[in-house]
Amino acid sequence: MSKRTITLILVVYLTIIWAAVIFRIDYFPLTWVPMYSVYEPSDTISTSIKDKAAMKKGFRVTHHDGSISYVSYKDLNIPKPNFGRLYSAIIFGHDPPKHKQGNTSLGSVNRWIRGLDDNERNFSVDWEWRMFWTINKTLRLEPGDQKFITRIESSHQKRVYKKADLLKGDTRKVEIQTNKVVIDWQDQWVERWNHGLL
Amino acid sequence: MAFCKSISRIWNQFFFTGFSGESLGLLRMYIGIGLLFFHTYQFATVLTLNPIGTMYYFVEPIWYFKLLGIQYHIPALSFAMYIILMGATVSMIAGKNTRTSILVIILCIFYLKGVRDSFSGDVHHRYIIPMQILFLFLLSKCGEVHSRDARQRHIHEGIQEWEASWPIKTMQLYVALFYFWSVIAKVRVSGWVWFAGEGRIQEVLIQRSVRWGVTDQGEVVKNGLSFELAQHPELIQFFGILVLAFELGFPLLLLIKSAKLRLAFIMGVTAFHISTFVLMDVNFLLIPFVYLIFFDLVPIHQWLKSRAWPLFRRGPSLTG
Repeated sequence: MSKRTITLILVVYLTIIWAAVIFRIDYFPLTWVPMYSVYEPSDTISTSIKDKAAMKKGFRVTHHDGSISYVSYKDLNIPKPNFGRLYSAIIFGHDPPKHKQGNTSLGSVNRWIRGLDDNERNFSVDWEWRMFWTINKTLRLEPGDQKFITRIESSHQKRVYKKADLLKGDTRKVEIQTNKVVIDWQDQWVERWNHGLL
Repeated sequence: MAFCKSISRIWNQFFFTGFSGESLGLLRMYIGIGLLFFHTYQFATVLTLNPIGTMYYFVEPIWYFKLLGIQYHIPALSFAMYIILMGATVSMIAGKNTRTSILVIILCIFYLKGVRDSFSGDVHHRYIIPMQILFLFLLSKCGEVHSRDARQRHIHEGIQEWEASWPIKTMQLYVALFYFWSVIAKVRVSGWVWFAGEGRIQEVLIQRSVRWGVTDQGEVVKNGLSFELAQHPELIQFFGILVLAFELGFPLLLLIKSAKLRLAFIMGVTAFHISTFVLMDVNFLLIPFVYLIFFDLVPIHQWLKSRAWPLFRRGPSLTG
């Protein structure tokens, strides 16, 4: 390649990587480097209580025939940390960090190029439907099956501290919150079933 | 016209001077060695799975999996991809079928990263810099020096300075901009309050120190130093300004000619990544291996060859 061709390649390359920054494109390998950029001041600090036994047992699920069982990370064959995220965040409707970063303070130009209205989110995912699709599909269950999962339950505890207390070094003032979630299969999702997530 | 000429001169001076073909070949080798560790560290969780176990349907496939219609994970394929990835990396280090090896590495990373990040939708950014470096190696003539390709194909002409310099200089520019962009992102999303003593750094320090629980005596189980530090906003403010200065000032590194000054800066950045890992569990611990791009590796390689390598070959002496 000649010097001229390389110059052209470099100009195109630099234009693309800068465009990713300006237009907040975060599609690997392009990025606008948003890691840890979101800071929303809060009076409280909360952390999940790691319940190894509950995590090992997994989601409590109810099948179409009324029977109850548990689905663990081993059943899904996924890494424990990822299962933990499904168990204590995704099923509760909490977005992964990248979605949060992509949704926060999106400027007017970036809203306009994405065709978003004022209050419309950049990333908006129906996590309930996804949970049913992911777990049932992985366990090879279809909507007509007796063992098809129609209810998924999760429960996890959080320690909630007042930031002011922690900043005084006081860790004893803590509130333990138990969060439970029960999500039910909705019959209208049958239409989506064959399309999956694509 | 004069303006265009001076832009052109600066452009040529920056991108097309400074490195020899040997530097580029050595950089390929050393970055490759770093990648061997990096790959394993990054994909370790995928390798804990049962290779003949259940095929998991992703809850949030990464964008290119959606585009290609990849909806589920084939565990055995991930193991195969990892083995291919490591083999291709060794091949890249040796400079055997260099361009093909780099292409295979890129494809394997795309696949394995896609799998890892699609399990629960947590997309990590640790491969972005290595991927840009690999892409630039792919376009370059890095396989024509210090390589089996060069020996087998009897390539003797060598690489001209401009051919060796532009990929390395572009890598340097990318890494410098990466840190610079992170300031832009923080200010865009959260404002300058991010850098305040009672801002984001303090929040992460507290959060990561109490996340492992508290003993009966009221002491945090892990990360006690983070907890202590969080209670000193004036100190955090100092560190916040330091972060701001080093991220904003990173592009200035490109103007520093002195290798010692560069080394001092890079050691500072490495200390930053180690500190954020230890105090905040921010896992960019292994990324400093890419900073090799900021140095001419020829003298370092010669030193290793003449001084350090014979020590390893001689082995430890029992007689003292």
